[in-house]
Amino acid sequence: MKLRNLVILVALLVAATSVIAAGVPLKIGICKIVEHPALDAVEQGTIDALSAAGYERDVDVEYILSSAQNDFATAIAIAQNFQAQDVDLVVAIATPTAQAAVEVFRDTETPVIYAAVTDPVGAELVPHATDPRENGNVTGVSDMIPVAAHLLLLQDLSPNITRVGMVYNPGEANSVILTDMAIAASADLGIEIVTASADTTANVPLAAQSLIGRVDAFYATTDNTVVSAIDAVLAASQEAGIPFLMADPTSIEHATLTAGFDYYEHGLTVGGLVAEVLGGKAPNEIPVTYQPNAEVQLNLDLAGAIGLDFPARVIKAATAVYYGGGLWGR
Amino acid sequence: MVSLLVHAVEQGFAYGIAALGVFLTYRILRFPDLTVDGSFVTGAAVASLLLIRTGIDPFSVLLIAFAAGCGAGLITGFLNTRLGITNLLAGVLTMIMLYSINLRIMGRPNLSLLRATTFVRLVSSNLPSMKGVVVVLLIGVLVLLVKLGLDAFLKTEIGFALRATGDCEEMITAHGVNTKTMKLLGLALSNGLVAVSGALVAQYSGFADVGMGIGTIVTGLAAVIIGGTLIRSARIGWMTTSVLVGSLIYRIAVSLALRYGYVIGFQASDLKLITSLLVVIALIVPYLRERRAQGVLSC
Repeated sequence: MKLRNLVILVALLVAATSVIAAGVPLKIGICKIVEHPALDAVEQGTIDALSAAGYERDVDVEYILSSAQNDFATAIAIAQNFQAQDVDLVVAIATPTAQAAVEVFRDTETPVIYAAVTDPVGAELVPHATDPRENGNVTGVSDMIPVAAHLLLLQDLSPNITRVGMVYNPGEANSVILTDMAIAASADLGIEIVTASADTTANVPLAAQSLIGRVDAFYATTDNTVVSAIDAVLAASQEAGIPFLMADPTSIEHATLTAGFDYYEHGLTVGGLVAEVLGGKAPNEIPVTYQPNAEVQLNLDLAGAIGLDFPARVIKAATAVYYGGGLWGR
Repeated sequence: MVSLLVHAVEQGFAYGIAALGVFLTYRILRFPDLTVDGSFVTGAAVASLLLIRTGIDPFSVLLIAFAAGCGAGLITGFLNTRLGITNLLAGVLTMIMLYSINLRIMGRPNLSLLRATTFVRLVSSNLPSMKGVVVVLLIGVLVLLVKLGLDAFLKTEIGFALRATGDCEEMITAHGVNTKTMKLLGLALSNGLVAVSGALVAQYSGFADVGMGIGTIVTGLAAVIIGGTLIRSARIGWMTTSVLVGSLIYRIAVSLALRYGYVIGFQASDLKLITSLLVVIALIVPYLRERRAQGVLSC
C-alpha cells in the first residue's frame, strides 16, 4: 500500500512539475544606465513590440527591469543578478550597461541585445559593424545620428547660419563621438562649430549662455546631460533670437525644430530584433542595426516667437509641426 | 543565491581596497579626503590605457596605477601643506582637476577592455571551468596582501608617527615629527590604494569610464562606518578587517536589494532607497543588542 501511494505521489509531482515547466514564461532582463525619458521610452518600446509579436507580458515572458541609477558598480551587479536568475535574454540600454552585460555574459549562450549605443564597435561590444560572424552572443541597435544631415538642415534654414553652437558633456562617450563627427562634417559644409562643455546638468545653463552672440544657431545631440537640461539651452537660443535644432523629436516642445528618431520607435526596433532572436535567429547572424532617421518636426510657436519663418524646403521635409500647443502630423 | 553572494564578495573586496584607502585618511589621519572620486578613475584610466596599448601583464598595471594614485594624493597634500588650503577644499580641487586629467589620459570618456587581456581574461583562457572560483580567490588573496601590508606598515615607526599625526598633531610635532611629511605620505598611500581598487574594478567590469569614480567617497565612508559600528576595536588589525567587512555588507545589501526588491513591491528606481534601508537594519542590530544589554530598551 505504502509503495503504491508513493508511486502515485511521485507521478502527481512529475505531472505538476511538467505542467508548471510547460507554462514557465521566458525571462528577459532589461537594464538601463539611468532613469531618463529617452531610455525609459526604449524600454517601453521594446516591451510593446514584443507584446505585438505575440510575447505577452507575464504570460509568455517575464521581465526583470533594472536601472543602474548612474552607478557603474550597480551596472555590473545588475548583469550578475540577471545571470544568477538564469535569464533567457538580456536587453542592455546605453553603453556602460551594455559593456557590463557583454563582460558578464561572455562565453555564455545567453543573447545580449544592446540598445541606444551610438558606437557599438568603438565600445567593443562587437568587432565589426557589418560582418556579424564574430559577434558571439551579442547584437543590437545603434542610435547613431546623421549629424551631417542635421547640419545641412540648419543651413537650409538660412544662409546666414555659419556658426553653430553645441553644448555637450565631454564625459559622455556617445556625446563626444557625435560632437567630433559634427566638427569633422562642418569643415566640408563651410560651418564653424563652437562648443561649450558642461559636465553636469547644473553647468548647462552657463555653457549655453556663454555661446550667445558667438553663434547663429544651437544644435544639440542625444547627450543625456544636455537633454536633461534642455530648457536652459532653449532659453539661451530664444534670448539670442536664433533657432535651436535638437536631435530628438520627443523634445519638440523644447526646441525650435527637431530631427531624428523617436526613442520609443527605437525601442520598437529593439523589440523586433529581440523577437527575431527569440524566434531562433542567432545573434552572430545579425549585423549592427542602425535606427532609421526620418523625422523632422518644426515648432511654429517657438519659431514665431523669434520671428523665424521656415523656408519652403524645410517645410517640405517636415513630418510634423507643433502649433498652438499641439502636434500635427502630415 | 550562492552566485549572488560570490559576486557581492568579489565586488566587496575589490571596492574594499578603496575603502581601506578612505579609512587611512578619514580614520587614521583624520583628514577628510575627497580626492578619491578622482583618483579611483585615475587608477582605472592608467591601467586601461596600459592594458590596451602595451603588453604589460594585468598585475603589474596595478602597481603602476598605485603610483599614479600616489601622485594624485601628493597634489592634494601639496595644496594643503604648502599652500595652506584647508583639507576638504584641497581634496575637492584635486578631484575636479583629476576629471580633466583623467579624460586626457583616456583620450575619451569611455575605454573598453572587452578585448584586452585583463586578469579575468587570463583566468578564463587558462582555467575556463573554474573561472568563478579562481577570480574570487585572486581578488581575495590580493585584498589580504594589501590589508596585511597596511597593518604591518601602521605598526612601524613611520606608521605610528602617521597615526599620531591624526590623533594629536601638536603632541607629535613636539616629538620632532614633520607632520606635513606625514600628511603627504598618508594622502599618497591612501590614494594609491584607491587607484589600485579602480584598476582592479576596471578589469573586472570590462571598461573604464570617466564617471565610474563618482560616489567612491560615499561608499568608502559607508564601509568604514558600517564596519566600525559592527566591530569596535582600537587594534589596527581588527580595524582594517572591519573596513573590509563593511564593504562586503554594503555590496551584499545592494545585491539583495536588486534580487529581492521587487518582492516587497519596489520598482527598479527604488534601488538606492532599499540599499540604504538594508544598511540601516544592519546597523540597528548591534545597537539594539547593546541597549537591551543595558536594560534600557523598554518597548
